[in-house]
Amino acid sequence: MTKLSELEPKFMHEVANTPRGKGILACIQCGRCSSSCPIARLVDEHNPRQLMEMIILGSRDEVLHTKLPWYCLSCFTCLDRCPQGGDVAEVMFAIRNLAVREGNVPDGFAAQAGNLIKTGRVVTPAMMMINKREKLGLSKTPSTAIEEVQKILKKTTLDKMMASRRTVKE
Amino acid sequence: MKYAMFWGCLIPAREPNYEVSVRKIMPAFGVKLVEMEGTNCCAPFGIQSLDYMSWLALAARNLCIGEEMGLDIVTLCNDCYESLLMVNTMLKTDHELKNQVNEILAEVGKEYKGKIDVKNMIDVLYDDVGVKKVKDAVKKPFTGLKVATQPGCHLTKPKRIHFGERKFDAFDELVRATGAETIDYDRRQSCCGGPLRGINDELARDVARMKLISIKNAGAECIVTVCPFCFLELDMSQLEIKRHFKEEYNLPVLHFAELLRMAMGMKLDDWETKSHRVPLNPLLKDRLQEG
Repeated sequence: MTKLSELEPKFMHEVANTPRGKGILACIQCGRCSSSCPIARLVDEHNPRQLMEMIILGSRDEVLHTKLPWYCLSCFTCLDRCPQGGDVAEVMFAIRNLAVREGNVPDGFAAQAGNLIKTGRVVTPAMMMINKREKLGLSKTPSTAIEEVQKILKKTTLDKMMASRRTVKE
Repeated sequence: MKYAMFWGCLIPAREPNYEVSVRKIMPAFGVKLVEMEGTNCCAPFGIQSLDYMSWLALAARNLCIGEEMGLDIVTLCNDCYESLLMVNTMLKTDHELKNQVNEILAEVGKEYKGKIDVKNMIDVLYDDVGVKKVKDAVKKPFTGLKVATQPGCHLTKPKRIHFGERKFDAFDELVRATGAETIDYDRRQSCCGGPLRGINDELARDVARMKLISIKNAGAECIVTVCPFCFLELDMSQLEIKRHFKEEYNLPVLHFAELLRMAMGMKLDDWETKSHRVPLNPLLKDRLQEG
């Protein structure tokens, strides 16, 4: 819970001004996103409508410094069903992007970024698979361009963002 | 028909059985898949969650390679498809955004122009090859086999980049072209839980379980999918569910390319059969090579 004195009313506009966050302005709190969400069925803590409400009210700290933005797995059901065209799943991306800038990146996501920076890919074949592929007459590993990926991520500063991540509050 | 083939990361690294089946069936329909050299991660959900511009630039770099080849890109993986299709759609319509992305791409000597389209294997088979030709290629139809189709979220959602739910029906029609029966089940459009793997494994398993219950209740004998995440998730989680909940679903999971390949009269090799954790043998004995 966020106390009245800690609310940051400008937060909604901070979110709306990010590339994928505009949809927050359209939210009418109907809750169709929550009733469509496969994760909300299983996890009490994850409630897209409530999360939208928290953004609107300005619970900035609670939204950006907890696990709340990280449950959504972007199945886009809420986005297709939002009666306002409110792009809930897109807003989820927006708040995760903001959370990253505050150092909030869960381990699983950081691991994906780590692989990407190191290999140019999120998933790479294990040694056993490389041998198996060779036996099957397939290319050992898909050809990739690690250096170019690293240059891109340096320019977008994703590498720096990952280096400065912190532990997420429970 | 010639396409630039984007295999992605997951399929070559974890599911060569998918890759091999696609390589075997597509030439039979006159489809030539040209390898894309020097691609990178498509920037799926996990990377998009971290940074918007990294997503756009990484996806656009892959699109540039397709443009340089002068070919439309074909993807197999739903996540690759969603990422490349969405970025292609956005950059084609938003010139300012395109300029911003090209500024980043200039670092690596590339420029996105917006000259090609992104397709999924299902688009190619349905739109370019056509259901009739697929039907004609079927030599050993799966008559009477009750299939639950799992197109996966990003084959059809969000609707605005996929032009409605047409692809749901396209996928089902292609499955029926193999002689199988497609059954409806209530959680057909819902997520398999796959994206949560490595992030929250227990939750991933529980999401998959909701889906499996729905499929079993509808009376399906197996699951057919096009998405490598759905394949791994629905196959693997059945073992975890057996251990954790003491529930057995016994629903073999097949890639659509494998189903079609078997329907075309080719048998799956022993190593491919073993790539499925839920055994295929009881259902498909006569279509598998002896190990």
